[in-house]
Amino acid sequence: MDIERAGGRGANQLRPIDCFRDVLSRAHGSASCSQGETRVLAAVFGPKAGTKKNENPEKACIEVIWKPKTGQIGKTEKELEMILKRTLQNICLLSVHPNTTTSIIVQVVHDDGSLLPCAIHATCAALVDAGIPLKSLAVSLCCCLTESGQILLDPSKLEEQKMKAFVCLVFPSSVNSVLPEESTPATTKSTEQEIITSLTHGVMTVDDYFHCVEQGRAAVAPLSNILKKKMRSQSAGKSSKAA
Amino acid sequence: MEQRFANSWRMTVNEKKFIQTALLSDLRTDGRGPFDYRNLTIQFGSEDGSSEVQLGQTRVMGFVTSQLVQPYRDRPNEGTLAIFTEFSPMADPSFEAGRPGESALELGRIVDRGLRESRAVDTESLCVIAGKWVWSVRIDLHILDNGGNLVDAANIAALAALLTFRRPECTLGGEDGQEVIIHPPEVREPLSLIVHHLPIAVTFAFMGDQSIVIIDPSHIEEAVMGGKLTATLNTNGDVCAIQKAGGEGVMQSVVMQCLRIASVKAADITGKIKKAVELYKTSRDLKKIKRHPDSEVESHSSKKEERKHKAVIAGTSSWDPYSKAADADELKAGLASQAVATPDEKMDAIQPEKQQLNVMDESPRDADLSPSLSVAAEAGEGKNKAKSLLDAVKPKHKRKKTNLSNSDGS
Repeated sequence: MDIERAGGRGANQLRPIDCFRDVLSRAHGSASCSQGETRVLAAVFGPKAGTKKNENPEKACIEVIWKPKTGQIGKTEKELEMILKRTLQNICLLSVHPNTTTSIIVQVVHDDGSLLPCAIHATCAALVDAGIPLKSLAVSLCCCLTESGQILLDPSKLEEQKMKAFVCLVFPSSVNSVLPEESTPATTKSTEQEIITSLTHGVMTVDDYFHCVEQGRAAVAPLSNILKKKMRSQSAGKSSKAA
Repeated sequence: MEQRFANSWRMTVNEKKFIQTALLSDLRTDGRGPFDYRNLTIQFGSEDGSSEVQLGQTRVMGFVTSQLVQPYRDRPNEGTLAIFTEFSPMADPSFEAGRPGESALELGRIVDRGLRESRAVDTESLCVIAGKWVWSVRIDLHILDNGGNLVDAANIAALAALLTFRRPECTLGGEDGQEVIIHPPEVREPLSLIVHHLPIAVTFAFMGDQSIVIIDPSHIEEAVMGGKLTATLNTNGDVCAIQKAGGEGVMQSVVMQCLRIASVKAADITGKIKKAVELYKTSRDLKKIKRHPDSEVESHSSKKEERKHKAVIAGTSSWDPYSKAADADELKAGLASQAVATPDEKMDAIQPEKQQLNVMDESPRDADLSPSLSVAAEAGEGKNKAKSLLDAVKPKHKRKKTNLSNSDGS
């Protein structure tokens, strides 16, 4: 029943994640994130003055530009831009800088499955690098469902194409509060139970979907610890970038 | 409207005066001499035809893809080469998404003229069926970071990507021999492109009234310069293209001097590109040897063979030619401990790579390979421990830290 995955990964095993901040010199914030072979580069410019026409000037506006590796920008890119924008609107503190626009540019370097999660991690790291105020980081994960009903986490491109269905989930990361432990366990649990974004492809039963969500939620804590460690470790050891 | 002004960066009068005065004494703001290039690093991605070039602060990425199309009517037996330049808004706040500005178009044209019109890439070999099917090679250049002198960096990225690109092999088949069958890379080895020569673009900036000439202007120097000249040359001494679009007038003697300097620099850069490409090709060839066992071992379920399967696959993408010398003892241990069904040398990859994870991280080029190293380590460990989701995400902090410091340094 167990499906053999390339590289001998277990069904619950994610590919190694790596995250570098401050990779570009002109951008206000930049980050490069890689999950296995998938690599995404994100840059943040902002906040800039003014918002777009139809946007609410009482809040900060987020603009996402998604650049594919080759080819012209089409509908898939527009859809991904919209998904990213809405996800980020949830994690950014929009009322801190009203009437401003923050531009986020995402460049796909290599796509080997789990592209959207990788992009979200890169974007969060770039926002941290730029110093944009955030409520929490976003942690994202792709789960796919095989024909036999088994759930695999973090599929590669080949696996994605063979699967019956897959779902991409984005959760807020666990919050390390500087406040003393006043918050009751109930409140901390509730943040972890939120799903910011969920994107499915293919057909799956409701039960399977909730199983995927369970798996995803269980991976939130270790994933967010890793991402935070990567971001923290870099800022500690980093000398100022020579011009 | 105001947003655009808010985005554009203006240079102060003080900065301008400083740069010009310093140049009178042959000093540049980053400590270079007037005819020194910045540090050039060329890295390659995980697939064929993808390159990343860093020239000082300037970063450009090149991707090459190919497709079968119908040829142009006036050239029925030649393939096509197209260059698409993307000035990504991440490179500079003044670059806007959407329509390319004039500097983007100019850059595209310079690289295009250097590569296509000088016949650097052999287009006749891209023909499959004359008049019906030819290969169309598409080069996408993404400008990621504008640190000045985008033309040179973009040119190098395009060349590096072209030299490492391989197109699938195709044969004629079908009843009348008119059908083209494209073979996937697993079945038949893809073919490299035939590149006759490497046209290297060298950019000069002219400053001030005393016609001071500097090479490879950085971003602040570009804001101060009076005129710019780009000469595209190859090591055979051919001038493939010269571009001087307006700007300050310069004497003929100065132009000739620039061309002479450019030929020296072109030889230098060609050497660097060739060396980087050779290194990449060697590691790619070594990876190739390991690839074949995968198809045999795919569906075995016994544990021993599973371990072999995992380890072998992990070995395919993480072979480091440089650590081979130290592996003799581990080779023997590895061979003795496992029942070898596949040829011996294919097993070598497993043991050394599991134990020498740190060694392989040192070279910055392996930054792309090393994520797959940890797959091997995880694969071995994952099977041994009880499976739980906490184990699912392996925090390879130590290794990633060395990775971080290397990648930042590059």
